Amino acid sequence: MASLFRSSLRTSTAMAVVPKLSRPVTTTSAAAIAVKCTRMKNLGVLARAGMAKKGFHVSASRKILPAGPQVIQGTVNDAAEVPDPNATHGSYHWSFERVFPSHTHAFSSMLANTLPKLISVALVPLTVAPFAAGSINPVTDAILGATIVIHSHIGFESMVIDYIPHRRYPTLRKGALWALKGATVLVLVGLYEFETNDVGITEGLCSFRLVSFQTGPVWLGLADAKCGDDGVAIKRVWRA
Amino acid sequence: MFRFSTRRTSRTPAQCAERKRKKTDWIECNDSHSIGAAKAVLHSKELSCGEPIPNVSPDDACAILVAQRKQRPISPHLSIYQPQLTWYGSAANRITGSVLSVGAYGFFAAYAVAPAFGWHFDSATIAAAFSGLPAAAKFGIKLAVALPFSYHSWNGIRHLLWDTGKALDIKDVYRTGYTVLGLTTISAIYLAMV
Repeated sequence: MASLFRSSLRTSTAMAVVPKLSRPVTTTSAAAIAVKCTRMKNLGVLARAGMAKKGFHVSASRKILPAGPQVIQGTVNDAAEVPDPNATHGSYHWSFERVFPSHTHAFSSMLANTLPKLISVALVPLTVAPFAAGSINPVTDAILGATIVIHSHIGFESMVIDYIPHRRYPTLRKGALWALKGATVLVLVGLYEFETNDVGITEGLCSFRLVSFQTGPVWLGLADAKCGDDGVAIKRVWRA
Repeated sequence: MFRFSTRRTSRTPAQCAERKRKKTDWIECNDSHSIGAAKAVLHSKELSCGEPIPNVSPDDACAILVAQRKQRPISPHLSIYQPQLTWYGSAANRITGSVLSVGAYGFFAAYAVAPAFGWHFDSATIAAAFSGLPAAAKFGIKLAVALPFSYHSWNGIRHLLWDTGKALDIKDVYRTGYTVLGLTTISAIYLAMV
């Protein structure tokens, strides 16, 4: 997604850098021709360093997302590092592939690959139940809430991993993941409070008139959306 | 890529292994010295016309490389691709999911801290406030929630179908994609009206 905003940044960055760099060097000994030469040679240096503005960068400049910090390991002429061979990516991978014939690699990545899918699969009946049965049991409602929170947590985690590269922003990456963990704990506290002191998710959505499990176009005023007594039941069950 | 002539002899495998073990002489380029150093390098030497580019120190080469890399085109360059149901649908799945999750996190986090701030955030208060809104506003708010919910739900089922190894060829991807769009429209309007 970042590229959407960054598409035109190259031009603006180039424009910002080039004037600074291409300021002609003033020579003390040489005459006017030397100044001309210095300007030319500076452009040459910049062109070879890739800093001159390219002709095909024609889009308008919008400074939305400047390029992040550049991390280069080794010297500028080093090729990319070849990662160390790791049996987890090699022979173990195929062993696990045979034992668990799905998209699994090692145990940890098996968990990482499978858990989100299990959570997603679990959400299907949990989401359908209120629509099919009119409302759901307080315990099921709490499970639905916890499952939504875990599903969201995994989704946020994926986004942090995708959009905050560890190589460039190691501190920000760590910070974001810990902030997410903190937010999830706070949200679970809020969910617990909502399930125990309030009416629960399905009942709540019903009372917000977001979902009416009774049929009829309530919005048009032709029917009255009456939510069930399950909200009270939730309190009773949790408090008992 | 432009190769800076740093006159570095190639390392032996043993040297590489040693460097890797110690991890001490990695040059970590970062912003702190990039532009300034690049400027200093380019201004430090006065050349006459036609003279080749001088050797630069590894630190300065690094700084120039950093400045150079900041102007590279970024890939994937989304805006040059033709809008297609495949990748638009995929992006929409993440966007709708994040919208719903941010909403849920926001609500429950606010519910958790409401007593500390004296907010009235219970469902009865919200329901009462909601019922006082004009019909058009109710419909709009409900549609704004129902639309991402519908899309993410239907497309989630599509993802689970893919996970079983079915409907993965391009024809099926389009067919299921249009099915999701159709179901989303119907269920979102239904949920906004009930």
